[in-house]
Amino acid sequence: MSAIEINNVNKVFNAGSGNQVVALTDINLSIASGEFVSLIGPSGCGKSTLLRLIANLLEPTGGDIVVNGKSPKQARLDQDYGMAFQQSGLFEWRTVAKNIELPLELKGWDKAKRHERAMEMLELVKLADFAGHYPWQLSGGMQQRVAIARALAVHPALLLMDEPFGALDEMTREHMQSELLGICRASGTTVVFVTHSIPEAVYLSNRVVVMSPRPGRVTEIVDVSIEGERSDATRDNSAFFKGITAVREALRGVEMSDHVRGIEDR
Amino acid sequence: MSSTITRPQRTSFLTPRRLRRVALFFASLVLVAVAWELYKVVGPEAGGKIFGWKLLPRANDNAMPHIWEMLERYGRPEVRGSDRKIWSVVLAGAWFSFRLALVGFFVGTALGLGLSILMARFKVAERGILPYLVLSQTVPLIALAPLVVSWGGKLSIGDWTWPRWLSASVLGAFLAFFPVAVGALKGLTSPPSASIELMDSYAASWWQTLRKLRFPAAVPFLVPALKLAASASVIGVVVAEISTGLKGGIGRLIIEYAREATSDPAKVFTAVFGAALLGLAMSGFVTLADLYMMRNRPKEANA
Ligand SMILES: Nc1ncnc2c1ncn2[C@@H]1O[C@H](COP(=O)(O)OP(=O)(O)O)[C@@H](O)[C@H]1O
Ligand SMILES: [Mg+2]
Repeated sequence: MSAIEINNVNKVFNAGSGNQVVALTDINLSIASGEFVSLIGPSGCGKSTLLRLIANLLEPTGGDIVVNGKSPKQARLDQDYGMAFQQSGLFEWRTVAKNIELPLELKGWDKAKRHERAMEMLELVKLADFAGHYPWQLSGGMQQRVAIARALAVHPALLLMDEPFGALDEMTREHMQSELLGICRASGTTVVFVTHSIPEAVYLSNRVVVMSPRPGRVTEIVDVSIEGERSDATRDNSAFFKGITAVREALRGVEMSDHVRGIEDR
Repeated sequence: MSSTITRPQRTSFLTPRRLRRVALFFASLVLVAVAWELYKVVGPEAGGKIFGWKLLPRANDNAMPHIWEMLERYGRPEVRGSDRKIWSVVLAGAWFSFRLALVGFFVGTALGLGLSILMARFKVAERGILPYLVLSQTVPLIALAPLVVSWGGKLSIGDWTWPRWLSASVLGAFLAFFPVAVGALKGLTSPPSASIELMDSYAASWWQTLRKLRFPAAVPFLVPALKLAASASVIGVVVAEISTGLKGGIGRLIIEYAREATSDPAKVFTAVFGAALLGLAMSGFVTLADLYMMRNRPKEANA
């Protein structure tokens, strides 16, 4: 069964007014259950917009989206997905454990069950010792891990991530990538992952969706075929480099056409 | 951000920083007293002029009694022959006004919070209400005080009639609600759109978002607003006492004692210090609330 179906989706901001922005045109994408898909492309090509459409934080101007066999709105109401952003967005007045409990609180879980789940999630992201700390007492990488734990707290079938590691240093970033893969493998979660980084996209994904701006559309979908489980050794694998080259070429095509259009515009 | 791990630390109530602050406060009191006495030594007895302007206050014992005379005055009866010492009269007056100010503070805070929630919820309300709030604060309190008293006097619900003291509290509330409304509105609308989106992604209702996100996010904005509200409620109450002649409070004592300034110059100062004590008690109360509300917040901001 496919986790997400996107058919002929368009998104226009401020339609009809002077500052109209065509953010996405004619997006078609089908994501299978358990698949890890990355969205990559230059800034402003509509990656975040596409993610927000799936999350029902925005309504499409045209076309339709199906999430978990339901409308995105129903999926949101059912908390079928968890979300994580570049900024961890933890609430500074809540302890780490209480931050993770937030979505459960809103769902009306009782206190004991909430706490149990929060501790389980903290084990998962290896921060069990920090349950009683406040976010501002943690490093950036740890905060991001808490945010991921929070996104996974309801055991969602789907995880939507918008450049979640974008603010981390390279070392922490690679470490977090491995951990994320481990978590998703264990839980069978479907992931839609927005990133700027080609190696990150290739390392994590089954498929990399390459997008281009003005107007935002999908130019190419690169299949990444790396045998076996991914680990740090994968980063030296020739299939990994092949994937990187393929995505880079797809992106170069994007920049080229963009450049050509730039000249035409003059 | 570094990867160092700070353990959550239970900081004790009396940190060195707080102790230093308290010491500084008392040191500054002593300094003011010394300056007062010094001026009495060097200042002109009958006042003085600078470039023809009558600026220097008179340094004689009538205009500026010695500090020890003021302190000594506390130990003597309020009026000759009475057995009530003045310190107990002043203290009782300050306590009376403190309770009125506290009522004004709470009523004003509740009103301010209510208005801020209304304005945060409905953009229309913000545009419709905010200008009037600003305008309300330009009405002179002295003009308002008799009005409130006369309105209140006509008010009775069943057996309940408007007590006179309530008018003073209402005027305290009238001054106190404004900083709370403005500060809370700023705080309630402070969360970044990412946090709002997060709550939306959980399908949280507006009230849930208010309780779990907007309100806690508003607390750091509320703290200075409450400090302003506390001193505003004291001012409102004292001015109301003076302008409506309400008996029992420190405001009334100040005008009564001021009438005896020539025969008993130290007396009025005992009441003035009583008013200062009232202000201190009020701000102490709010500071405790501040310490409690901000106990688990990042400390950099006020380090
Ligand atoms: N709320 C909005 N209102 C108007 N324009 C928007 C809004 N959100 C995004 N856009 C525009 O849509 C385009 C795509 O934005 P976005 O999805 O954030 O790109 P990306 O995440 O790929 O950098 C950009 O041109 C951006 O300015
Ligand atoms: Mg983006």
